[in-house]
Amino acid sequence: MEILKYTLRKLAGGIPLLLGVTLVSFVLMVYFGPDKTWELLSKNPTAEEIAQVRSQLGYDQPFWVRYGNYLRELATLEFGYSDSTGERVTTILQRTVPVTLALLAPGFVLGIVLGIALGLLAAWHRGGWIDRAVTGLAVVGMSVSFLVVIIAFQLLFGVVLGWFPVRGWNVHDLPSYLHYVTVPTLASVFVALGYNTRFFRAVLVEEMARDHVRTARAFGASPVEILRKNVLMNAMIPIVTRTMFSIPLVVISGSLLIESYFGIPGVGKVTYDAITSGDQPVLKAVIGLTAVMFVGILIVNDILYKFFDPRISLGRTALQ
Amino acid sequence: MSLPVHDINPGADARLQPVRRPGGISPWSRAFDRLIGDRPAMAGLAIVTVFFVIALGVWFGWWGGKWAETGDGQWLPPSPEHWLGTTILGQDIFARAIFSTRTAFEIGLVVAAASTLLGALFGALSGYFAHTAIDGLVLWLKGVLDSIPFYLFVAAIAFALDGNPWAMHIAMIATFWTTTARLVRGEVIKLKSLEFVEAARAIGLHPLVILFRHIVPNTLHILLVQATIVFVAAIKSEVILSFLGLGVQDGVSWGLMIAESTSEVIAGHYMNFIAASGFLFALVMGFNLFADGLQDALDPKRSGR
Repeated sequence: MEILKYTLRKLAGGIPLLLGVTLVSFVLMVYFGPDKTWELLSKNPTAEEIAQVRSQLGYDQPFWVRYGNYLRELATLEFGYSDSTGERVTTILQRTVPVTLALLAPGFVLGIVLGIALGLLAAWHRGGWIDRAVTGLAVVGMSVSFLVVIIAFQLLFGVVLGWFPVRGWNVHDLPSYLHYVTVPTLASVFVALGYNTRFFRAVLVEEMARDHVRTARAFGASPVEILRKNVLMNAMIPIVTRTMFSIPLVVISGSLLIESYFGIPGVGKVTYDAITSGDQPVLKAVIGLTAVMFVGILIVNDILYKFFDPRISLGRTALQ
Repeated sequence: MSLPVHDINPGADARLQPVRRPGGISPWSRAFDRLIGDRPAMAGLAIVTVFFVIALGVWFGWWGGKWAETGDGQWLPPSPEHWLGTTILGQDIFARAIFSTRTAFEIGLVVAAASTLLGALFGALSGYFAHTAIDGLVLWLKGVLDSIPFYLFVAAIAFALDGNPWAMHIAMIATFWTTTARLVRGEVIKLKSLEFVEAARAIGLHPLVILFRHIVPNTLHILLVQATIVFVAAIKSEVILSFLGLGVQDGVSWGLMIAESTSEVIAGHYMNFIAASGFLFALVMGFNLFADGLQDALDPKRSGR
């Protein structure tokens, strides 16, 4: 019951944020966005025709009415039709989102799991050569641009070694999926690993320095036991936060680059094409939906906090 | 498996103990000593300095001026004349990479300075007036900006500004200040309950004077570290934004060079790619090493050493 009330309060707390996010995307994309009047008119239009098209597009409405219409579009998922292909935006998203999820999921999970593993390794040997090697490699990994990694891996695995396809997405069963997903996964793991390892190492080092860990050691608990019970469980909050907040970042930024380079028909490719061709309905939908997703993640994250740390007071507004 | 020892620094006993001045050592000079002794950080600083000199040279017109000049030979291999070969248009790749150093510093410095200032201002206001309407407004703005995916935000701003070449800078500044503001807010909340602030208030100083003359200068260690981190983020983002066609609009940059090279590497012309990504990697690596050292040196939790 209490958790339900907490959840409801969190949901209510997300409303101002949602309004803000939609307002920003509305102002940038629609209000100051490109004027489509002239595309719909014939040559030498009369003033009357211009006025008619403008009212058809809603340009003669006041700001708040247009913002209200935009909110309604978002809520009902009615984004209209793509400027470049004429396809319904919702149909495009339905087709492309599953591809993106299938493409990014392995790399995302591996990046987090390997990051935690390397972070644990470094934190356990803090100050030793293993720690120095891991943190050194992490800094190197952080310094390489995602774009450079993608190009280099495509070159290495696709052209030089020729082991994997580096273009297209011809997936129909598990072997073909693994065949196509390997190089993108390697690239995204490589890029995520540097940042993740450093972050998790810092978190775990702090956890390991705590008194209860020392006490557990003094009582002769095995390293595995200590790591699992005393360190990892206590570090769960930052780990969960990090994981949750990486999702929108990976889905959008990761898919944008990977899909446009590998020619994979996912939501990132669609977004890339929309950016380069100025396809407003698609961009509007993607920006609106990812922002809403992010606010949703914020709320879920707060609820997970409660789950992992029952001491968190139910009155605290972690949305701040 | 040997137990790790946390509190002992292996080099500490071998190091000369600094001479204690009458008033004790200031935290800044202690941080400076620590930074000087940090070898990776000093190596990073050396790399950054070299790049900065290159950028200055381009500004003064000493080198890199011929980056746009086209020649006869396309895709020439490296030679004494063209150290890193030429592009499809016969342009000298080395000159382009050199000139791009200036572009990178322009973007990095502008974005780092502006977003740090903005972060300091908003963070200080929301920390000093914590739990008031001002704080609420700043936190709301920060939450909103954090919720919009960065590349899409840039695309939206470029859309709204209709291809303005500053769209990229504006978008970076508008999003990068939020982390700085969060850190400054926390520090200001901590500082404002200390005695020196109490004293300033007791002698009747205006709240804004207390805030910006007495509190904000004490957050300088956060601002310095954040500025270096933002610098790195800005030049790394430029590469990806230029690939998306949202980045540098005129001139040349490492991002544009990499974007240009994507079709070339398949055909076996690697020099554009190698030059741009090599320069980029070296500068980012140098800055990362320096930022790490700076963060360690300025970390107040480590002041015991």
